[in-house]
Amino acid sequence: MILTIFKKDIKLFFSDKRAVLLTFLMPILLISLFAFAFGGVGGNSKAKPIQLLVVDIDDSSGSKSVIAGLDSLSGLTLIPKEIEEAIGLVRKGKHVGVLIFEKGFQDSIIAGNSLPMELKYDAAREIEMGMLQSVLMQKLMSTVGKKSIKAKMSRYFDENFSGIPSSIREKIFNDMDSGNSNMSSSMNDSLSLKMTSIIKEVTKKGNLGLIQAVAGTAIMMLLFSIATIGGGLIDEKESGTLKRLLYSPLKPTDILFGKMGAALVLAILQLLVMFLFSWLVFGLPIFKDITALLLMILTTAFAVSSFGIFLVAIAKSRQQLQGLSTIIILTMSAIGGSMIPLFVMPTIMQKIAVVSVNYWGIQGFYDIFWRNLSLIDMLPKMGILIGIGLVMTIISVKLFKKNVLKLVDV
Amino acid sequence: MIQVNNLSKSFDSIQAVKEISFSINKGEVFGLLGPNGAGKSTTINMMSTILKSDVGEIHINGIDIKQSPNICKQLIGVVPQEISLYDDFTAYDNLMFWGSLYKIPAKELKKKISDILELIGLSDRKNDLIKTYSGGMKRRINIAAAILHKPEIIFMDEPTVGVDPQSRNKIFEIIETLNQQGITIIYTTHYMEEVERLCNRIAIMDSGRIIAQGSQAELLQQSNAKEAIVITFQTVSETQIMQLQNKFELEINQEEQKVTIGCDVNKDLSNIISVCNNNNLKIEDIELKKVNLEAIFLNLTGKHLRD
Repeated sequence: MILTIFKKDIKLFFSDKRAVLLTFLMPILLISLFAFAFGGVGGNSKAKPIQLLVVDIDDSSGSKSVIAGLDSLSGLTLIPKEIEEAIGLVRKGKHVGVLIFEKGFQDSIIAGNSLPMELKYDAAREIEMGMLQSVLMQKLMSTVGKKSIKAKMSRYFDENFSGIPSSIREKIFNDMDSGNSNMSSSMNDSLSLKMTSIIKEVTKKGNLGLIQAVAGTAIMMLLFSIATIGGGLIDEKESGTLKRLLYSPLKPTDILFGKMGAALVLAILQLLVMFLFSWLVFGLPIFKDITALLLMILTTAFAVSSFGIFLVAIAKSRQQLQGLSTIIILTMSAIGGSMIPLFVMPTIMQKIAVVSVNYWGIQGFYDIFWRNLSLIDMLPKMGILIGIGLVMTIISVKLFKKNVLKLVDV
Repeated sequence: MIQVNNLSKSFDSIQAVKEISFSINKGEVFGLLGPNGAGKSTTINMMSTILKSDVGEIHINGIDIKQSPNICKQLIGVVPQEISLYDDFTAYDNLMFWGSLYKIPAKELKKKISDILELIGLSDRKNDLIKTYSGGMKRRINIAAAILHKPEIIFMDEPTVGVDPQSRNKIFEIIETLNQQGITIIYTTHYMEEVERLCNRIAIMDSGRIIAQGSQAELLQQSNAKEAIVITFQTVSETQIMQLQNKFELEINQEEQKVTIGCDVNKDLSNIISVCNNNNLKIEDIELKKVNLEAIFLNLTGKHLRD
């Protein structure tokens, strides 16, 4: 008897080709996705260099020489800009940071004074910046650092130990150049690059981790909630109410839009509750730009609910729905930065991320809470979220019209 | 009121409905009788506008349903075979929801719900969740949800499946009341007793075709099925059988001491009994075989309705 039931269930399962495909395709896709995300694929290929903006206010042969030296690094490309434009681009999250050579840079090298250079960066990309910092420091040390320190020490010897023989001075400087003495490492440490978070300058420091956690998780959980809307339609199919709805004067698209409306309201409520919770418990400053926050919640909810009706339109069985929703949600969350912050992903994954609603939502919330952008600056991201929502809705309507009669088995 | 001409529908290679034509008059209860898979539900789905025919036309009140499906949807109500209600809603909330799809003003809808709950005998349970109802009660609400907008035509697709005899009788009473109010009813079933009780005219479907249609009397005439009396004797000799054969047409089952006499049951019964008595034949059992729809269907198709 058990064998009969077993055979029946196996037969039923394999008769649903889409469910079969999803069952096996989903893990393969996820494995591939995480392999890309963690850089496990294409590890031998040449990585794309980090692009760093550079502002040369000093405009001297010394600063030019350093810039050329940095630009020759295989992992780094320098893009010259004017100061205002460069800071604007970093503030909007377009570039990781800007290296500024202040007036008097060359003179300071010669005089052995502290170097007037500063790295202003987007604190939302702190980990990426950390990696860049080590590359910069290494190169700066090998070019200007030693020159500056030698000049400083020469001056010190002249002032305090003028009687030291020149052979001993040379020995000390040679040890510095060889880079293998204790002295060399202590000298390296003496060179510091002033690093400033651009956001920190503008406002009180927020909690980047909190923003990532709230925005990333909120959008991912929203997607899971919206997937239940698809489940609702399967319930309607199974109870026969979907067929009864079709007997009524309703159009199939009315049913779809009704469900989308419900999904939208639920999504808005869910996001509101999540942000209120984050404010009450973690102190997320949700009232700093309430208009922008509400608009971002609305546009994110719209885009996410359009995925809900896409699931409604495409899934013909509960198994299909479960498979599809899992694959869509996990894929979008993984590539969009809900699971792993984007800045730790390879460049190719950061580029792919733009297809994900999570990406635009998370970036939008970064704009509000971290980058402190104005509403005007945030409008493009909101527009993209609306665009995603509209495209998904149009596709869903077409698919639903085509599939609805198959759903009710007429 | 309803005119169906040359209607056909195929699903891939299977032709579910094959060139059927019939008409239904206003105020009729029209039965679509046939076994499972005969094409009844496909026909109802096409008549209720959710499925488009491949060939053929359906007119309701002279309106082509393909051209004006939304007008036709207002004229019809459909009682689906499944209990299509929201289990977690009360009966009242369900009726409010289904009624609101027809844009009935709230005040009017509330009044209609009250009247219909009275009609189906569930006023006192209106605030109970549907999931707490018995199968028969759910069936009644299932009917109520289809008649809130006062349709001129109601399609009922096997509305008594799985209900107890008491609820079935209540459903019959509801249908009869609706019909008395002038509503035309198209009733599909594979229970011939229901059709015999409720329907003025009947179309018998088998394998996608209408194999006979008309009133019960007309179907009887069209059919070759005849009434019969089956008599089992305590003992019967060949001589006695021959004496009977002189007077009646017989089918003889000598082994079981049984004869089947083709006749008009009401007219000939007393005569047959007296002939038996006169020939000293002792009757053990008499079975009257009247011609019913089951017999007609068997006669027309060579198979039973519930095969």
